[in-house]
Amino acid sequence: MRLAVVLTILLAILLALPIEAADLDQSTAAQVTVTSVTLDPEVFMEGDFGTITVEVTNTGTGSVAIRRVTLYDNEIQTLSQSYDTTMYIGGGNKMSFTFTVKADVPEGIYYPVLSVDFRDAGYLRYPVKMQVQNEPLEVALLDKPDTFSAGKKDMVEILVGNPRDNAVNGVTVYPKGDGIAATPTSYFIGMLAPDASRAVSFAVTPSRSTELELHVDYKNGINSHSEVIRIPMELGESKKQADPLLSNILVVYEAGIYSITGDVNNAGLEDANAVVITSGSGVTPTDPYQSYVVGSLKPDDFASFEITFTASNVTRVPVVTSFKDKDGNLFTRETVIEIPAASPSSAGQDTGSTLMVGILVVVLAAVIGGVVLYSWRKR
Amino acid sequence: MMQFTDLLLHPERFFAAAGAGEPNLRVPALIALCGAVVSGILGYLMSEIYAEMFSAAAGAGIGAFLGIIAGISAFLGFLFIWWLVFAGVFFVISIPMEGKGPFTRTLANVGYGLVPMVIGSVLTLALSFLYLPRVHVTMPRNLQDPAALTQAMTGIMQDPIMREFTMVSSAISILFLIWSANIWIFGIRQARELTIRNAVITVILPVAVYVAYMAYTLIAGVPAVSGGI
Repeated sequence: MRLAVVLTILLAILLALPIEAADLDQSTAAQVTVTSVTLDPEVFMEGDFGTITVEVTNTGTGSVAIRRVTLYDNEIQTLSQSYDTTMYIGGGNKMSFTFTVKADVPEGIYYPVLSVDFRDAGYLRYPVKMQVQNEPLEVALLDKPDTFSAGKKDMVEILVGNPRDNAVNGVTVYPKGDGIAATPTSYFIGMLAPDASRAVSFAVTPSRSTELELHVDYKNGINSHSEVIRIPMELGESKKQADPLLSNILVVYEAGIYSITGDVNNAGLEDANAVVITSGSGVTPTDPYQSYVVGSLKPDDFASFEITFTASNVTRVPVVTSFKDKDGNLFTRETVIEIPAASPSSAGQDTGSTLMVGILVVVLAAVIGGVVLYSWRKR
Repeated sequence: MMQFTDLLLHPERFFAAAGAGEPNLRVPALIALCGAVVSGILGYLMSEIYAEMFSAAAGAGIGAFLGIIAGISAFLGFLFIWWLVFAGVFFVISIPMEGKGPFTRTLANVGYGLVPMVIGSVLTLALSFLYLPRVHVTMPRNLQDPAALTQAMTGIMQDPIMREFTMVSSAISILFLIWSANIWIFGIRQARELTIRNAVITVILPVAVYVAYMAYTLIAGVPAVSGGI
């Protein structure tokens, strides 16, 4: 009888033991929690690859066996393998699980689920918030000249702004285009925080009418993206360009040499450097002023000039004004000035009439002398 | 009937005949008026060169105004300088030389003596038609700028054609002035009852001063006050 009682008690103890152990594993597993989720990039763009790193922490004292860790979602593709090897996470320890995903989904917020399969105590399911935003970097043209000139360096300024909810990095701006020389060749901005912007300037020198492309390359996580703005560059005359005008023109013809004097005024908005004035085709520049170097003229400034030349059978003379901008590009202006004709035939006619008048004066002197003498002799 | 050939070739005979009666200013005044009219026309033509310069900036009206002013100035200049002033000068110079006779006779005889100068004026006027159209007028750089205006006017004076015309007209003026002076000598002698020596001194003195002045201006290039001839 006593033996039967003892056996019954032992059996009861044996039957009760697994139940207590199972309860113990359940409570230990409950102390494993997700303490950190890191997305790289923080906000995906459609088609971006990235990683989701989940950190779990065992806040209990006993170790917990983990059989499998997976991340799954109907729309977000998980490219990396699940963690299928049984592992233990000791009490107070942390463990990270990283999954590679591809956000081949439209814009929106998604919740791929992290599932931790405890070997002895069920599952831990944790939905990870993942945002997909297609907003690219904004590139705005801040300043450019109204008109570009061939060979003339002009500044083009753009503003690169980040309207996204996450920072992008490796931001690089560079100009591109046929027949365009630009400095600097590229501009590295680096990281651009959300709602931040940076202004970038380029000195651009076109050689012909073309299109300037300003590329902005950046990375969202490991994904490269690019934006571009195109600026048509039609060559023309700059509205601000120096504009030397000739005025107060005075033409003097003496001893076979024409002399043109006047003022040259800079009616433009930029400096005219190395201003030189000379006579154009159809006449022969001669000393003392074959050409006249005025030098620099600031806007609204003026200076006097004088050029000398010889010409025959010409009534209109082109006067050429050349000047350089601050980059050394040469510009020319031509002003046609009317001059009195001085042909060789008229010069010959002048000489003939002068001779006749001279003879007349001599004859007059002789006649008058004779008359005076006669009047005294024949009183 | 007075013969103009006598006046030009035998002035002593002419004035001896004219001095018989009372002095008559009608014919001398007519001679002076002829000379004044020719000088006025010449003055008007000369002013056209400058008028062209001013008209470009101030309109055609200013050109016509300048022409009228120049014409009247030359007209009055001939009348006063060559007739009245020279008669007055001869009269005053002859006073210390015991000159007698009324001023009206001096005035009349000086007026007769202007005949060669009228001929010279006509000749100068004819030459002006040859020269003046060929003078190149340079426009002033700025009419408000006195320096530019002076430069432009100097430019006209320095024009080779203008310089030649100035020289020729001055030479003609001097030649015919000498002829007139020759007539004046006999006219003043008769009007002021002078010896031939005193008459020569009376006439030659102011005429020589004037000729010297003209020669100086011709060489120095300063515009001379010629009274139109």
